[in-house]
Amino acid sequence: MTTPTTRAGADSRARRAVRPAPPARPTRRGRRHPALIALAFLAPALIALLVLRLAPAAVALWDSLFRTSLLGGTQFVALGNYLELFGNPDFQNALLVTLVFTILINPLQVATAFLLAVLYTRKAAGSKIWRSLVILPIAVPPAVSAVIWSVIYRPDGLANAFLDLLGLPAQPFLTSPQQALASIMVLLSWIGVGYWMMFLIAGINDIPRSYYEAASLDGASAWRQLWTITFPLVRRPLAFVLVADTVSNLLVFAPVQILTKGGPEGSTNLLMYDIFTRAYTLGDLNTAQAEVVILVLITLVIVALQFRLLRSED
Amino acid sequence: MTASLAPSQAPAGRRRSPRRRLGPVGTSVLGAVIGLAFLIPLWWTVVNSLRPGDETFRYLNPLEWRTFFTLTPTLDNYFALLDTDLGRAILNSLFISLVTVVVGLVICATAAYGLSAFTFRGQGIVFSVIILSFLIPFDAIAIPLADMFRDWNLQNTFFGLILPGLGNGMAIFLLRTFFLAIPEELVEAARLDGLGPWGVFRRIYLPLSVPALIGAGLMLFLFQWQAYVWPLLMGTDRDHVVGPVALSNLQGQFAVDYGVLFAASVILILIPLAIIIGFQRYFIQSVSTTGLK
Repeated sequence: MTTPTTRAGADSRARRAVRPAPPARPTRRGRRHPALIALAFLAPALIALLVLRLAPAAVALWDSLFRTSLLGGTQFVALGNYLELFGNPDFQNALLVTLVFTILINPLQVATAFLLAVLYTRKAAGSKIWRSLVILPIAVPPAVSAVIWSVIYRPDGLANAFLDLLGLPAQPFLTSPQQALASIMVLLSWIGVGYWMMFLIAGINDIPRSYYEAASLDGASAWRQLWTITFPLVRRPLAFVLVADTVSNLLVFAPVQILTKGGPEGSTNLLMYDIFTRAYTLGDLNTAQAEVVILVLITLVIVALQFRLLRSED
Repeated sequence: MTASLAPSQAPAGRRRSPRRRLGPVGTSVLGAVIGLAFLIPLWWTVVNSLRPGDETFRYLNPLEWRTFFTLTPTLDNYFALLDTDLGRAILNSLFISLVTVVVGLVICATAAYGLSAFTFRGQGIVFSVIILSFLIPFDAIAIPLADMFRDWNLQNTFFGLILPGLGNGMAIFLLRTFFLAIPEELVEAARLDGLGPWGVFRRIYLPLSVPALIGAGLMLFLFQWQAYVWPLLMGTDRDHVVGPVALSNLQGQFAVDYGVLFAASVILILIPLAIIIGFQRYFIQSVSTTGLK
């Protein structure tokens, strides 16, 4: 009978004998000019990404430092466009609307997706079928969702018909400054919640059953199990979903452009739509570029935040 | 079934407070109600596409069974669609998306191969360029890019519409993850058999990565199919307009044939839906790989 240490020693010696020494081992790198061969494979994608993703961001940054006028030509104004933007009441309103929208829609969508994921991973008749009904709308392109809901929200549309059935008065929805933003949130959640739910269902399914069995034996209620087992163990997918959802909701454009054009009274003037009108309706491309830079920076900060959060957890 | 199970569960469940527990029946009912609520807009769209446009609002006040069913379904709206610009627009969307998938897969797969099968100086930089490219959302930089494309006279061309969809950092990332898992012994054996870098890619990497390729293809397809901002900026003339943009133009008009509008909506939904359902396994796989790893 050998002691554990000697056995381990023999083991590693045996392994060393079988495996060739690292330097002699042929590696995956190409024989002659690995960098050249690799770059040849990478070239089309790299050029595409540099020209079509990074260059426009750089162009926006560069252009945002200039101002073009019909008479005076192009002039370097440093941060002038940014200062002008932050003093502009329309932009201030767009920032405020986007902030309210972001603070409301993301927690609501993620919480709904989480609760539905919990609901649909429980053992119950037809769970899989009902779950797939929630997932179906993810195939609907946002612009198509906007068109469908434009009919639903009409004064004589489906939404008011349901309210009537419940004995509630008809609502103006998209034509009311108080309801328009919420109406847009509903049509976005219809196509969004199922998508985020899929990530969370995958996360919940990864949790070992035995955790719940142990908790049940200890007498923990279903509610307690949800908060002490499920919630902490899907933190990673939850954090990802929250960030990815926030980024995608920062870019909401189609429903605003199709349904409300930012109105009524600027109540749905989200940042993306404000950039669009500034560039094309107002024709102020330089200031619009400054706004693009601000939007990209906000997105990058949110994503960086996620990386930090996830890294510090490991 | 529930009743027969209850007694055997009793000992374990005795200490739980019964009020808070949602039994299997309750779970089922709640799940069904929510599932059906999500289905209603879609169902109503399909039913409306199967009846004449002037009947869209007929059965809404008050709600009745005919709101959600029709006894005389007709495909007239779909045939009418064939003669409109909307039908043409949907074909444009299909063309753009399919070309993007084919060319995009070649570009993204070769890039992923270059990144995973070789080690070279500057690899880190290349990798960060790819990561950064998908951290900057495409829609956010669409306006400066459209400005560049206008200078290059790419407006209202299929080339201009397709180009931005080809290089997809996320798809490259997904394929790279998959490629890194390909056993080195296999590659070495292929090399001893005389395969060069291109041969290894074609004969070893591609055949072994079909699931990842399908996942990446789905990403490329959905990117183009759902695109709205870019086609709105790039191609709005009659020959190049895409489905979603043409549909939203229709919505803004005064005399709208709602039957045709709903028929077009159904097709714009059905095509990606069929593809997602057909490749469900790969879709979920690609979604979870990009999301969680």
